[in-house]
Amino acid sequence: MSVEDKLKQGPRDGISYPMQVVYCGNCSMPIEYCEYYPEYEKCKQWLEVNLPSEFEKVKIGDDNPVEEEKKRQKRGGKGMIKTKKKEDGPKQVYVSRAPRGKKKSVTVVTGLNSFDIDLKVAAKFFGTKFACGSSVTGDDEIVIQGDVKDDLFDVIPEKWPEIDEDLIEYLGDQKR
Amino acid sequence: MFKKFDEKDNVSSVLQLKSSVQKAIRVKLLESYPHLENFIDVVLPKKDSLRIIKCHDHIEIIVNSNGELLFFRQRDSQWMPTLKLFHKYPFFLPMHQVDKGAIRFVLSGANVMCPGLTSPGAKMTDVPTDTVVAIMAEGKEHALAIGKTALSSDDIAKVNKGIGIENCHYLNDGLWQMKPVK
Ligand SMILES: [Zn+2]
Repeated sequence: MSVEDKLKQGPRDGISYPMQVVYCGNCSMPIEYCEYYPEYEKCKQWLEVNLPSEFEKVKIGDDNPVEEEKKRQKRGGKGMIKTKKKEDGPKQVYVSRAPRGKKKSVTVVTGLNSFDIDLKVAAKFFGTKFACGSSVTGDDEIVIQGDVKDDLFDVIPEKWPEIDEDLIEYLGDQKR
Repeated sequence: MFKKFDEKDNVSSVLQLKSSVQKAIRVKLLESYPHLENFIDVVLPKKDSLRIIKCHDHIEIIVNSNGELLFFRQRDSQWMPTLKLFHKYPFFLPMHQVDKGAIRFVLSGANVMCPGLTSPGAKMTDVPTDTVVAIMAEGKEHALAIGKTALSSDDIAKVNKGIGIENCHYLNDGLWQMKPVK
């Protein structure tokens, strides 16, 4: 395809839209841009596992990177590409109980974020499961109306198998 | 625009759009992007309810009911497509191609300098200044950034110095990394 054709506006014949672009599981960019990612090696590992045919192509392209290097140095600045922020704090869910009024208490769940769980969905789920109020109250906090901490140790691993019972920690009673 | 953007810190509120406002946005988009005409019902289905995410620095993002981020703008500027949307319909913006050497700079958030648009590997579409363009790259198939021209294509060729395109949104910036908004 010539450059003129590539830059021409308007839908192309014979292509059905929306198009599906393959994004890299490591750097999240279209795979043709992986070579610019600071952790290119990890991208390649991902390719090797998930898209072996693309991985083969990349290996061939890697053989002559010298010219590219020379070109780069003519420009000012460093052109530093940052890696994605890592969210690799410890993966752990914390459960605690806090008093509410004289007789009742609420259950506080934090840490679901570290498992990439949508908090709103989770809050709704708890509400339905325990037939009680449940809402997202902070960046990574859900408050469930009622003392359901014992049930959570069963319910959470059941709903999200990636959270093992051992990864849930009970912090005891909180003073509010 | 989204270099230091983080959805946790920069989102201030989410607004449900009235259908009259939605209609007005459709009209605006078609005015700006006539090539979308046959696809607008898929991109913005009439019955879908859109939301606007308001962020700091007067940035607004249009989100559909699936939470997909579609268009963004700053202050009252023209709506620009997100890269994820443009990758699905990669034909409705004028395109400028940068040479290979410029790719890493664009991916680090830098504006596109004129020489990166005039060298042998580059190619421009003829557009005036202040045009929303997709930034393509030599030897690559997909857009790597969305920008706004700081100079007309003629002037970029003539002046060949300084900023040619303002980089508004690029692969792996804060907007690209923003998760679907439920
Ligand atoms: Zn990658």
